[in-house]
Formats: sequence, structure tokens, C-alpha cells
Amino acid sequence: MSVNIMLPTPHKIIDIIRETGNEYTFRIETNAKVKHGQFFQVSLPKVGEAPISVSAMGDGWVELTIRKVGKVTNEIFNLKPGDKIFMRGPYGNSFPVDDFKGKDLVVIAGGTGVSPVRSLLKYFYEHPAEIHSLHLIAGFKDEKSILFKEDLSNFRKRFNTIYTLDKDKIEGFEVGFVTEHIKKIPFDSFENYNVVIVGPPVMMHFAALECLKNGVPEGKIWLSFERKMSCGVGKCGHCKINETYVCLEGPVFNYTKAKNLLD
Amino acid sequence: MSYDIDIKKVRRNCYRQSKVRGEFMLQIRVPGGVIDAKYLSFFQHIAETWGNGEFHLGVRQTISIPGIKYEYIDEVNKYIRPYIEEIEVNLCGVDMVVDDNGYPTIGARNIMACIGNRHCIKANIDTTDLARKIEKVIFPSDYHIKLNISGCPNDCAKAHVSDIGIIGITKTEYDYDRCIGCKKCVEACAHHATRVLSVEKGKIVKDSCCCVGCGECVLVCPTGAWTRNPKKFYRILIGGRTGKQTPRMGKIFLNWVTEDVVLGVLKNWEIFSAYVMNNKPEYIHGGHLIDRVGYNKFKEMILKDVKLNPEAMVAERVLWAETEYRSNFNVKPVTQR
Amino acid sequence: MGYCVSIKRMNEILKELQKEYKIYAPVRFEKRGRYSDTDLIRYAEINSIEDVVYDEKSDFSPKEVIYPITQALFYFTEYEYMESKIDDKKILIFARPCDINGFRRLDTIFLKNGGTEDIYYKRLREKVKFILMECKEGGWDSCFCVSMGSNKTDDYSLAVRFEDDNILVEIKDDEFTNLFGDEREVEFTPEFVTSNPTKVNIPEIDSYELLKKIYDLDMWKSYNSRCISCGACTAVCITCSCFTTLDVTYTENGKVGERRRVHASCMHEDFTIMAGGLSFRKTAGERMRFRTLHKIYDYKLRFKDEHMCVGCGRCDERCPELISFAATINRLYDEVKKLKKAETTKDIK
Ligand SMILES: Cc1cc2nc3c(=O)[nH]c(=O)nc-3n(C[C@H](O)[C@H](O)[C@H](O)COP(=O)(O)OP(=O)(O)OC[C@H]3O[C@@H](n4cnc5c(N)ncnc54)[C@H](O)[C@@H]3O)c2cc1C
Ligand code: SF4
Ligand code: SF4
Ligand code: SF4
Ligand code: SF4
Ligand code: SF4
Ligand code: FES
Repeated sequence: MSVNIMLPTPHKIIDIIRETGNEYTFRIETNAKVKHGQFFQVSLPKVGEAPISVSAMGDGWVELTIRKVGKVTNEIFNLKPGDKIFMRGPYGNSFPVDDFKGKDLVVIAGGTGVSPVRSLLKYFYEHPAEIHSLHLIAGFKDEKSILFKEDLSNFRKRFNTIYTLDKDKIEGFEVGFVTEHIKKIPFDSFENYNVVIVGPPVMMHFAALECLKNGVPEGKIWLSFERKMSCGVGKCGHCKINETYVCLEGPVFNYTKAKNLLD
Repeated sequence: MSYDIDIKKVRRNCYRQSKVRGEFMLQIRVPGGVIDAKYLSFFQHIAETWGNGEFHLGVRQTISIPGIKYEYIDEVNKYIRPYIEEIEVNLCGVDMVVDDNGYPTIGARNIMACIGNRHCIKANIDTTDLARKIEKVIFPSDYHIKLNISGCPNDCAKAHVSDIGIIGITKTEYDYDRCIGCKKCVEACAHHATRVLSVEKGKIVKDSCCCVGCGECVLVCPTGAWTRNPKKFYRILIGGRTGKQTPRMGKIFLNWVTEDVVLGVLKNWEIFSAYVMNNKPEYIHGGHLIDRVGYNKFKEMILKDVKLNPEAMVAERVLWAETEYRSNFNVKPVTQR
Repeated sequence: MGYCVSIKRMNEILKELQKEYKIYAPVRFEKRGRYSDTDLIRYAEINSIEDVVYDEKSDFSPKEVIYPITQALFYFTEYEYMESKIDDKKILIFARPCDINGFRRLDTIFLKNGGTEDIYYKRLREKVKFILMECKEGGWDSCFCVSMGSNKTDDYSLAVRFEDDNILVEIKDDEFTNLFGDEREVEFTPEFVTSNPTKVNIPEIDSYELLKKIYDLDMWKSYNSRCISCGACTAVCITCSCFTTLDVTYTENGKVGERRRVHASCMHEDFTIMAGGLSFRKTAGERMRFRTLHKIYDYKLRFKDEHMCVGCGRCDERCPELISFAATINRLYDEVKKLKKAETTKDIK
């Protein structure tokens, strides 16, 4: 009998980092080979499954940053280090990291959207020689919602960063939506570059339009989609848009493809 | 022309007095409101030959032909003989002798029914078929009864305002494995009926006590998880009426009973009426008869020799709610009791 | 090779087969239809050949036999979990050509899409052999299998034609030859329907520009008031494969339970809803467009060989709001024709 693609395996939680009141990062033991942008189907038996992006990875572990929103995520928040969590995956495609290497990279992330690009950012933070320049615009709703504070302050050292809050004015943060800051990116000075946009659908939509307005060619824009998913492996049909299965061909899409994904 | 007519006698033959002296309206019985279309020309002939050329769709689903002069009544009665024969005896199996004197009695009124499951997507029973079976039981009787049959608890035929109202209900059955937890039935029950369904752990939980048996859940279920039990069930309402003094809604008497119970109960109606009225039939709504002897006596008499099916439920008591057009209408001097 | 088998003998043969096979066919469930005093015809195990409803179209498709509406994936106890098990009997299904062709579409999703196999589907699918049931001439009113090219198949082990007292059987699979060895030999191969009363024209959608215009067509809006989003059309469809997984506990203390999947429908409002309430395709019209295009456009775009819809017509028959899928396809065809015409006249100008 072939392998059961629905079969989750138990993994030990190594550490739990409280990012905000309702977003925690779980460091979980696994030797799975993960690429930047992929996700796992995370589950608790008798509670349910949920797709969660990998927000960081290391030797023998991955980090998942989870927002507490419902049945499964509520229950996950009751877990303690040493407890077991069930996973299958990783699933989905990833950011074309090799394509990004040696070029300029712009990352525009909103809210929990930072989480699926965090591992990519950490990679270039740790391997600064592999990237020509990295501009990061990260936006959050308010001070309470800021994720990955330590990473963000590290990134300031090696990347060109613009951090922004929707309304609040605090030290080190601009005010306004991420879209309002895109014009500050010196696209003209780049020789060869890519733009990664992740966040809620509306934010991605307007950020992409703003990039296009600033002369970014469609083919240089990459987005990470979120859709309802039940299986993660192209069987359940929930994530399908046109002929495309977000769980298989996504969640990362080039804009030339993404703009044709009509829902 | 001056007339000297025993209008009581003519009414007994189903001719209703007109405001025009000497004219009458014939009320032709159509049990359950459905008959072959071929009779249209028959009605037309009566209307055009003896009536004023019009006909009225009687509120109790009779075909009513106004403007018949008294002197034609005998002729008309002769003419309708084959109709009475065909409908009452042949179609409904009524045990009666048909002669040239027209309808023998107006006591048990024409049985009203909605179209039922011969056509209606909401119906749970064949109301026409039931009406014909009941006609056999209640006709001809001098004792008055207004009986309405509805195919589902929508009650389009107004079973709630008749002496005896019958509503077709369905015992729905749930197939756990076929249910996909889509909540369509939950929404339908809340929208159309009594909000007795909910989803728990992806499947349906039902508060059976208050299911009205409408079958809306069956209609909407995409997978056929809800189906009707093939057995037919009925709700019987009693004591409803319209009128100038104390109109009221009928109240539930029996629930989840079978056709046999319905027919059994109706067999006892005449006996009950005769008992209350000392064998002297008069025009009086059934609810008043029940009021006179009390619900418990009614229950005892009407259920005599009726074998209730195991699913049946019987009302322990009835709390009437009347519209009293005169307050304290029911408070009467001792002499008038 | 063909045989003429009496009903009595056929029942004896079925008995023999039942030792190894579960035998499924369309079966009549009296008075279990949607409306009072109507019957429901759906697949179930049969005990005799008389159980097979061969002269009517079944309300539900045979997909439920190997892709159950509710299917346990894992059982959980307090500390362990295990994969659900199945019976080891093999499966015979009495099926029409459209349905046999429909199973190939399900195979594509469950065994090929994403390059992975779904073992829950596979373990039952592997056990299946088909008994082809001949259709009546022209099929039934709502059938449009000929338009979809799914009126024929050679993927069967046995084929049957029901006659008044006998059943004609063709045997293609040697496994069954012995069982019929003593029967009277006759010339018999099944005939396939070659023309249906209902016909559809599939629009050719050859560019994203055209697709975008199709998305914006007014025709979809007409379904906002017509379609009640009940999902009956997808529930009966032989080729609809969507499901939702969920976990449940059996007991109050929550210690034992299962992970299961149940069929899902893209016609339901909550098909795309994500935690937080964000959803896509909010109107019935948008969902109708999605279903339509899945059935006659994007499945083929993805998997190349054939459209998803096999034209069984069950969705037409089962829609409580009298929405015809065949009519929807033809309406789309007309609209696309208009769009294309507008395009060429624009080019000329
Ligand atoms: C590719 C991908 C990556 C993701 N990455 C992350 C991540 O890194 N971090 C993170 O926190 N989240 C992530 N999410 C979102 C995450 O999967 C959901 O928040 C999670 O599934 C919620 O599960 P729950 O059981 O806690 O929520 P619930 O709200 O209980 O949801 C249970 C299910 O019901 C559905 N549902 C929710 N609301 C309703 C409603 N009103 N009516 C009907 N159904 C409803 C949901 O879609 C869900 O499938 C990701 C999603 C995708 C698709
Ligand atoms: S039959 Fe009962 S459960 Fe079903 S909709 Fe009517 S009241 Fe609700
Ligand atoms: S409508 Fe049918 S399938 Fe949907 S929840 Fe109700 S019983 Fe289940
Ligand atoms: S879409 Fe309709 S006609 Fe086509 S396969 Fe499905 S049920 Fe049959
Ligand atoms: S039409 Fe809808 S339910 Fe059917 S397979 Fe396609 S997405 Fe799934
Ligand atoms: S069966 Fe008809 S009403 Fe129901 S979802 Fe399908 S098209 Fe809409
Ligand atoms: S999540 Fe099931 S098909 Fe994509």
C-alpha cells in the first residue's frame, strides 16, 4: 500500500514564543526539508487540521507562527513545550530563492503576512553576501500587533527597512498603510530585482497595483495566497481557483499568474 | 309570483335561499375539491339551463350555481342524479340510495382539501384520496361537520378553523452517513418551521418534541439524508370555527396518527353529535358540542373502539383561545345555560 | 462472448459472486424521494437481480460506493491513532457508460492530481469491476453524454441488457467466464446511445481575455435569485469530488474520536470561507460560474484529455429550482459566441 498522504505524524514542541497576545511562535522538532514559503497541515487529533506557514527553520526544527482564531488554533494555544503537535507536509511551492540571489529584493508584508516571508528574510539576513540589497516594508495595525520584534530590529542592521503602523505613532515606526510607503523604494536604482508581497488579500491587491504604478514589471512581483484548505494536497477542491490549486501550484504566485486567478 | 316555500326542506337538499324571492343556489359537493374536468360542461348546463348563467366557486369547494328558480328544483334534482351517483357512490363509495330528489342532506358539509401531494411539492399526503375516503364515513349525515384537510402544516385548507381539521405530516428519518453537515435543513427548519434542528460535531441533532412534521428538511437536503418515513401520518385538530360570536383556532387533539385512526375517529363523530344534541341534529359548530360536554367526554366518545397506532399522541387537555367579540360573552345567566 | 441468462439463473450466479464481491446497483427506495410518494433511486448493495433499477436513471451516482459521503480517515483514542479499515471483499458495480467514464475523472483527482494518491479512494477503487448497464435508446430526457463524448466505454468486465425474462450478458473479463459456462450462448454486445434529445455546445475559451469577459457576464447574476445554493447538483454528480475534513469526538469527555471527511459543495456559501470570515464567491451566481467552468473548462485545461462533466444529467434532474445545467452550458456558449463576434467586428474596424 502506498503512503497515506493524509497521515500526520506527532512532533515535539521545543519552545513557544509569545509574539503578541494572540500570536505565538511554536518551535517544533522535525527533520523535514522545508523551502521558504511552504506550509504544513498542522493538527490536533479530535480537534482538527489547519494549514500554517513555516516562519523559520533550522537544524532539526521549524517555527510556525500561529494566530489564535478558532477551533484548532485555540486548542494549539493550550499546548506547552514538550507537548506533541501533529503535522503533515511541507506542502506547496516556495519563493524562487535562487532567482532572488545576487539581485535586489523588495519585501512588502502586512500583519501576519510577515510570517510566511520571515524565513526568507532570516535566510538573507544570515547570508548577506547572497543578496545585492533588501528593502523591507513591514506594516502592522498597531503596537500590540507587531510580530517578530527581535527579528525586525536585527533586520534594520542589514536591510533597508520601513516599518509602519496603520495609525499609531511610535518610535521607529512610520504611520500609514504599507502601500503608502512603496513609492519610497528606489526602484530606478535597481539593476535586477524582485518584489515579494504578502498579507491580507486586499493589501496584496493594492500593494501590487502601487508597485505597477511605480514601474515594477508584472513578472517581478511575487505574492503568497491564502485560501480555505482542507487537504493541502490537491484532493479536496477548496483552494481551487480556475484550473489552479493554491495548495499545489501556490501559495506563492508570480503576478503574471496571480492576476489571472479570478475568483 | 308569490312563493310559499319550506326553505328548511330545500336547504336540506343543498339549495341556499337567495335574496331574490324564490331563487336558490345549488351547492354541488366536490369532496376534496378535485374531480374530473369533464363535469365542467355538466355544471355549465345547469347554470345555463336553470340558473342565471353564472357559477360560484364555493368557499367550501362546492360548485355553487345561483339563480335557480324554485319551480326548477325538481328538474335540477333529476338532472344531478347521475352526478351524485358517480361522485358519491362510485368514486367515494358512499353507502346511500340515490334518487330523483337531489342531495339527501346538507348536514355533513363538503370536505375541503388543498391539492395535496397529487401536485404540491410541500404536501405529505394525498388529500384528495383521503377526502374521498372520509366522504364515505361522514356522508350522508344530518349532523353538521365542517372538515378541512391540508397536505402539510402550511394548512392552506384552513384545518385550523374547522370542526375537525386534518393535516398531513411526515415522520422524517435521518441517515447519519449521508449527511454532510451543510446546515441547509437547519436553516430551512428555522425559516419555515420550528427551529428544532442544529448541527453538532458535523451532524444533525433534532429536538423531536417540537417537530411539526412539515418535511421542509427533506425538501432541502441535498444528499437525501432526510427522507420521509413511507408511512403516512396525520394531525387532527378540533374545535376551530369562524363565526360572528366566538371564532377560534382549532387545537391539536391527536398527533402522529395513521389513516385508520383518522377514519375511526370520524366514524364516532355522528354518535358523539347525537349524544350531545339528544338525537336532534341542529346547525351548531363542533367546538360548541365539545364545550357542552367537556373535552374529556369528547375524547372518551370519539376514541371509542379506535385503536391508536404506537406513534400516536393524544392531547391531555385543550386550552381554547377564543376571540370574544363581546367580553364575558361566555358568562351567562343561570336560566340560559 | 454473449450469453442469455434467465432471471432465476442470474440470481444463482449473483449468489455465487456474492461470496467474493459486494454487488452494487441502482436500487429503488420506495417513497423516499424528495417529494411525497416519490421514490428515490440510489446505489446500494443488491441481493437479487430484480433489485436493479435498470429502466430509470438513478437520482444519485455510483460514486458513493467507493467515495462514501462520510468516511472515517483515522480513529483516535487517548494516546493512539489508527487508519480506518475496510472490508476485504471486492466490488462489482452496475453502471452506465457515463458513470464509468465519470470514475475516470474521479481517478484523475484522487490518484493523479498533485502527483499523489489518496489511499482511501485507491483502496476501494482497486477492488472495483464494472458491469455495464445498457441505456435505453437515446438515454433519458436530461442525458447529454453524446455531447460530452462519454456515451461509450470499453472499461467493463460484464455488460448486461435486461429483457423481459432474460438477461443478455457479455463477458469481457475471463474471471467470470466459468460462472456462465452452462448458459445459452448468443450474439450480444451492448449498444451505446448515439444521440440524446438534450445536446450541449461547449464554448471554446482560448484566452484569458475571453475568460475575464466570461467572468463578468450578466448571465451569472440571473442565478442569484434562481439558485438556492443547496448543493443538490454537486451531491448527485458522478464527477464532483470535493470534501471537507473534520475531527469529532464520540464522548463527552472527548477522549476518543475520529478524523473524517464528508462531501462538500462549491455551491454552498461556506465552501471558501476562511477563519475570520473572509470568503470568495459570495453570490450564488459566482458559485454557479465556478461550478460551470470547472465542469466544462478548467478541468480540461488542467488535465488535457476530457471535460469533467460527463453529461449524466443528474444535476438537471435533481435541482429543486429547475435550473438546467445543459441550458446553462448552452447559454454560456451563446454568450461566448456573442463576445467573439464583438471581438472580430472590433478587429475589422
Ligand atoms: C497556505 C496557508 C498558510 C497559512 N499560514 C498561517 C500562518 O502561518 N499562521 C496562521 O495563524 N494562520 C495561517 N493560515 C490560516 C490558518 O490556516 C487558519 O487561521 C486556521 O485554519 C484556522 O483554524 P481554526 O480551526 O483555528 O479556525 P476556525 O475558525 O475554527 O475554522 C475552522 C474551519 O472553519 C472555517 N470557518 C471559519 N469561519 C467560518 C464561518 N464563519 N463559517 C463557516 N466556516 C468557517 C475555516 O475556514 C476553517 O477551515 C494559513 C492558511 C493557509 C491557507
Ligand atoms: S419536519 Fe420537523 S425537523 Fe423537518 S423542517 Fe419540519 S419541523 Fe423542522
Ligand atoms: S440538509 Fe441534509 S446533508 Fe445538509 S445538514 Fe441537513 S441532513 Fe445533513
Ligand atoms: S455536471 Fe451534471 S451532467 Fe455533468 S457529470 Fe455532473 S451531474 Fe452529470
Ligand atoms: S463543481 Fe464544485 S463540488 Fe464539483 S468538483 Fe468542481 S469544485 Fe468540487
Ligand atoms: S441544485 Fe439547483 S438550486 Fe441547488 S445549488 Fe444546484 S443549481 Fe442551485
Ligand atoms: S487544499 Fe485541498 S485541494 Fe487544495
